[in-house]
Amino acid sequence: MLLLAWNSFRDRWQVFAGAVLTVCLGTALVQSSLLALVAAATAPVPDHLAPEDALALQGAYDGAVTLLSMVLALAAFTAVFIVASTFGFTVAQRRRELALLRLTGASRGQVRSLLVGEAVLLGLAGSALGTVLGLPVMRAQTWILERFDFAPTGFAAEWRPWAVAVSLGTGVLIAVLGVLAASRRAARIRPQEALREGAGAAQVMTFSRWAIGLVCLAGAAVLYVLFPGGGAPLPVWFIQLTPFLVTVPLVVGCSALAPLAVPLAAGLLALVFRGVTGELALSNLRSDARRSAATAAPVMVLFALTAAIGGTLATVGEAGRQESLRTVDGELLVAADGPEAGIADAEGVAVVSAQAEVLFELAFAESGASWYEAHYGLAVDPAAYAATHRVEPVAGDLADLAGNAVAVSPAEGREREWKVGDTLRVRLGGEESEVRIAAILPPSVAGPEYLLPIGLAPEGTGPWEHVVRLDEGADPAAAAAHLAAFGSVTTAEESVDAAAAEDERFTRDTMIVLLGMTMLYTVIAIVNAVVIAASNRRREFAAARVTGLARGQVVALAFLESQAVVLIGLLLGALAAAASVLGAAAALRVITGTTVVAVQWPLLFGLALGAAAVVGATSLVTALSATRTPPIRLVAARE
Amino acid sequence: MHTTESPVELAGVTRVYGKGDAAVRALDGVDIAFPAGSWTAVMGPSGSGKSTLLHCAAGLERVTAGTVRVVGGDITNATDAELTRLRRTEIGFAFQTFNLIASLTAEQNVAMPLRLAGRRPDRRDVRAVLDAVGLADRRRHRPRELSGGQQQRVAIARAMVTRPAVLFADEPTGALDTKAARAVTALMRSMVDERGQTTIMVTHDPAAAAAADRTLFLCDGRIVDRLERPTTREVAARLAALED
Repeated sequence: MLLLAWNSFRDRWQVFAGAVLTVCLGTALVQSSLLALVAAATAPVPDHLAPEDALALQGAYDGAVTLLSMVLALAAFTAVFIVASTFGFTVAQRRRELALLRLTGASRGQVRSLLVGEAVLLGLAGSALGTVLGLPVMRAQTWILERFDFAPTGFAAEWRPWAVAVSLGTGVLIAVLGVLAASRRAARIRPQEALREGAGAAQVMTFSRWAIGLVCLAGAAVLYVLFPGGGAPLPVWFIQLTPFLVTVPLVVGCSALAPLAVPLAAGLLALVFRGVTGELALSNLRSDARRSAATAAPVMVLFALTAAIGGTLATVGEAGRQESLRTVDGELLVAADGPEAGIADAEGVAVVSAQAEVLFELAFAESGASWYEAHYGLAVDPAAYAATHRVEPVAGDLADLAGNAVAVSPAEGREREWKVGDTLRVRLGGEESEVRIAAILPPSVAGPEYLLPIGLAPEGTGPWEHVVRLDEGADPAAAAAHLAAFGSVTTAEESVDAAAAEDERFTRDTMIVLLGMTMLYTVIAIVNAVVIAASNRRREFAAARVTGLARGQVVALAFLESQAVVLIGLLLGALAAAASVLGAAAALRVITGTTVVAVQWPLLFGLALGAAAVVGATSLVTALSATRTPPIRLVAARE
Repeated sequence: MHTTESPVELAGVTRVYGKGDAAVRALDGVDIAFPAGSWTAVMGPSGSGKSTLLHCAAGLERVTAGTVRVVGGDITNATDAELTRLRRTEIGFAFQTFNLIASLTAEQNVAMPLRLAGRRPDRRDVRAVLDAVGLADRRRHRPRELSGGQQQRVAIARAMVTRPAVLFADEPTGALDTKAARAVTALMRSMVDERGQTTIMVTHDPAAAAAADRTLFLCDGRIVDRLERPTTREVAARLAALED
């Protein structure tokens, strides 16, 4: 059986090359993400650093670990998804060949082992190449991480010998996992299908497709309902994970149910596609729903993940911006290196709140173990802060925020059980001390999560930000001119918008790091799927030409079909992404009380046009090359 | 060689497609035995049920009523594994489209059924069969390097290599020109005469039917006539009468 697998591999290499390519790139991506993750997790923090610097460096590495875990998860998901859909598709393309084997005496088990054998060969070939390709990919990935400040300067991942074993293992595993479902389906192919021309039209919506589709949809629906968390606010970092929790199962479910969407999309397009070519394109689309769905799958995963991650992060950012705008009760902001006491006496100033970020650690001890968690807090003067911010503590009083006391905005787990009067151990500026919880702040998107009295801030804290509320009737421009002597002055809106712009840039960078490589991978997979789909259609195209279509019409037909397929992918992808963004919006609503949804339209339009262009161009090229031979030779040809 | 009187017997076989008003009786109570060592041609107009007869006799399709016996065993309710075993050892197939595996050489195609059955193919056996179909010098060629007639002879060699009790042929000359068709019918004739190969063939080609020992005529799922050793002209006339 392995010989047959080898032979069929050697002979159909054009189709298999596509499968090898997907495994190769998938392996390279997973390997590189894994090595970068290991490097970030084991990165040493030099002893000679000051406590704050060491803490900041460790924080940077921890951030990189979190991000790289997501990169790894996305890469692994995308690789399995793409490889599975490519393999399932190649099996569907070979129904007749497999039926013939059954007719010549192959048992179901033998058909299965043939396909699994092929998968092992493809997996080995692909992952061997992927192991080598993984090195430049890893370099590119660490460069991107450093370039966008997600890893400290000098961060380097190195190649480790065990990576070969892991990569070969993953590559083969991914390929075999991908082929398992397809091989079960292939084993059910009945021998007499070899006897009929065009017996490829098997039942498309199989039981397992229904089962996988409905289970995934149900899973996503349950998560979606649970997302607002029964009225309890969820931590913001968790809300940012909605794309993983909601969109990923939806992508799997939608791709299983995609053949159902094909006639739907065809119906929609019937309004636009006119003439004989359009009609033919749509009937081709409908008659091979499986092919249409398989080509749409990578478009869907590309669009769904980008739109979901981008939309969710943008929605969180926008909710934070609006919250900040509502919270700040002042007109001007002055940024300076140190706290400027003189601002309070400047002309037109009613009240000023000086505040600075402080990095500190909470110490925990539980059942014999003890550990530290790093957090950012805001050092403030409580009276001034209360006068310039619309914040109502849920419990306690901001006025008690003096001496060894803090105010907390509980976001998750343990913190939710904290009460006013509890004591916490903190390590600040290298010293450990006990602080009392003076007030509990309401949950918030933009923070701060901790308020500390100014007296707790260690020497050298800064830079400082001064929120200024002016006297009634004072001229903001004149006041700003006076205040310019203390530092750089902006209006509160400008400042919030600047923070939001910073946030947007961060979102964009995060997406580049998270998705850049994976998206490149799906684009290649899209091209791949179009090429594989066209490889089986030479005779079909020839038959169309013998019936009287000109070569140009056949090419136009293929092009129209490809655009319809892109549309299906985009629609399903948008659906999967919308669920995630709306889920995030529902969860944010619990925190802020208002509904905010942000969509990155330019990005999504660009992506949609790009996908249409890539698929369109590929289908033009493949259709031109498939129609190069005079049609009558192909129609007459057998085998 | 099998000594069974009739390797394939159909008793009261009925095959209905669809349900209710849309039901079609492709076979309607067919009783027929195919004697060992004989070559039977099955003819009839399109839709007469001749392909269904072949598929039911070969265990590719389940019958709605009646029984099918192959080499003495009742296969009416056989499991997939039993049918697979049957295809490996007792049955050979040849088709209108030759259905060779494009990636394998002639020799490898012929050896395939033996390998699938888990037997180590004896090179001499494989070559002997290829020699018998006159393609000893083409054994290393791939299907696309062979003419249609040559491909069909490889397909027959593949069907013969397991020394099956029955050879089923579905329009074996349907895709061939007259000369190649004549060579293939001559080959099948010699298989019957020299090896005593029981052969059941569905065909549209009166010349091919005339090479067989007897010809059955099907119409609307029933056997309506049979001719022993007819001439091409007699077959054509009978068929024309049926199609009127």
